[in-house]
Amino acid sequence: MEKYGDLRFIIGSFFMLSGIVLLTVAFSVASQKTYGHQLNFYGGLGMILFGAFMLWLHQRQAEH
Amino acid sequence: MHLDLHTADYLIITLYFLFVVAVGWVVKYKIKSSNDFLMSGRAIPLWITSLAFISANLGAQEVIGMAASGAKYGIMTSHFYWVGAIPAMVFLGLLMMPFYYGSKARSVPEYLKLRFDEKTRSLNAIGFAAMTVFSSGISMYVLARLLEIILGWDFDMSVLLSAGIVMVYIYLGGLTSAVYNEVLQFFLIILGIAPVVIVGLHDVGGWDGIISKLTPEMTSSWKYMSHADDNPMGVDTWSLVMGLGLAMSFGYWCTDFLVVQRAMIARNIAASQKTPIIAAIPKMLMPFIVIFPGLIAVALPYFTEGYQLPAAADGGPDYNMALPSLLAHYYPEGLLGIGLTALLASFMSGMAGNVTAFNTVWTFDIYQPYFVKNASDRHYLIVGKVTTIVGVLASIGVTYLAASFNNINDFLQVVFSFVNAPLFATFLLGMFWKRATGHGAFAGLLAGTLAAAAVHGLTIAEGKGGWIMVLHEYGSGLSHAFNMAWMAFTVNLIVTIVVSLMTKPKKDAEMQGLVYSLTPRVWAVEGPWYSRPLTLAIFVSLACLALNFIFA
Repeated sequence: MEKYGDLRFIIGSFFMLSGIVLLTVAFSVASQKTYGHQLNFYGGLGMILFGAFMLWLHQRQAEH
Repeated sequence: MHLDLHTADYLIITLYFLFVVAVGWVVKYKIKSSNDFLMSGRAIPLWITSLAFISANLGAQEVIGMAASGAKYGIMTSHFYWVGAIPAMVFLGLLMMPFYYGSKARSVPEYLKLRFDEKTRSLNAIGFAAMTVFSSGISMYVLARLLEIILGWDFDMSVLLSAGIVMVYIYLGGLTSAVYNEVLQFFLIILGIAPVVIVGLHDVGGWDGIISKLTPEMTSSWKYMSHADDNPMGVDTWSLVMGLGLAMSFGYWCTDFLVVQRAMIARNIAASQKTPIIAAIPKMLMPFIVIFPGLIAVALPYFTEGYQLPAAADGGPDYNMALPSLLAHYYPEGLLGIGLTALLASFMSGMAGNVTAFNTVWTFDIYQPYFVKNASDRHYLIVGKVTTIVGVLASIGVTYLAASFNNINDFLQVVFSFVNAPLFATFLLGMFWKRATGHGAFAGLLAGTLAAAAVHGLTIAEGKGGWIMVLHEYGSGLSHAFNMAWMAFTVNLIVTIVVSLMTKPKKDAEMQGLVYSLTPRVWAVEGPWYSRPLTLAIFVSLACLALNFIFA
């Protein structure tokens, strides 16, 4: 484990939560902008995947 | 132009603020000494130091300013990366980090003390400390003014909120907290701005679409460089390569403690070498994130009627609004919160970089040698923490100074350029010429700074400079700055050599680990060949060369 704590957990958590907010907006608010829905949907999905990847790296680091 | 934020946007901004403070809170419990607080115990993993290295430089002025330059000068702005950053970062990693790290110096000014003498260290430390405070203050002013214009946020509230959060997380967790947050901020900036580039490029028909609508001078980085009058930047190849590519770029990337500090806290000498070289990989790709929005902003009106670059007070296009106006055009509720948080993050990473560098230089290079020499480690830990508060308060003071005097930003930028322009010559001779002496370095630095001031006073561009008399007029402010830089560098180089030859050098034994010819080169052969700094440096250099050719 890193001397000052594992940063991957912090980054992973932040982007997972942000992605959830974006996906919630994508499914609950009708956007007036051209790519509004797609941007929130794919942006949210991308952030969740990135966050999950970081959390997986954190988990792997902890196990070692 | 005005942006309306909704609940989801505020939720994301709040989430971000909570996370950055939480980082400080978590790290706080691991801080036991001044070394932990100011140097991160030299225990930070390579991937973190590399991303922090690039993020500390990725301030609000960089993100907003490079998009603005992209809109104004086109792809030529990439010279600030592919000529004005990558070669210097590779040089720092390959040839300079072994001396910074191997000398056990805690800061760049302390290296000057070890290599030369106390007066050279003090000159560098005091100038650097002043510049960090002014830089973060001006950056804060730019951000608060931007938020006032696009969001209608109160200027005072923006200043106090953003500076307050930076102060809290650095006070709690010191350099480690700043570095950890810089990595979070790096990802946020990339993920927050990349969607604008993706949908923007889609709407303008990709790079081919941009080429079809903009003038060739805007879409070629080298083709129109033979004469300053032929390109929108108003610079020629000589001043670009010598001024930006050598003096300014190497003077910043190889000697500025703000960025070098991130490499100095790596776990070992090999990691410290790899830090700037690995950082050069994302840095090389940054033009696609920060310059392309500018190009898209000027090309988009040809493809859609729903977008125009906002007008400035004089009726011309307001290039500084290139990125914010694209965020307003494309981003819906939710993602707009991410985009704005990316702007806030860019400011915070820049300010945190300045504050942590100021902390260390003040504590180790000014307070310890001149005020209290042999105090306990706890004493210096407290000094470091108090300096955080003082540094942030001083930055806030500069913010209001900038708000009160319209011209102070320009004035300070000019003064900074006088100090920065000659710097690299001092380090180059210090590290690679054992005959260079402390008197030579000190005289060279002073002469270089005076030479920069003299060039500025004797030449003029865009109505600025020429305050002694006008001997020559440059085609643009950038050309003026680039030429001033290489002349100051040359004067420093010559004066340092001449004075060094007339003064007594240090003994060889005192310079081991500080000078190339007196240091065993064990670092170059550690680890498998593909992960060695030299291999990485060759790969980065070739990739950078390829980018220059592709967009030539």
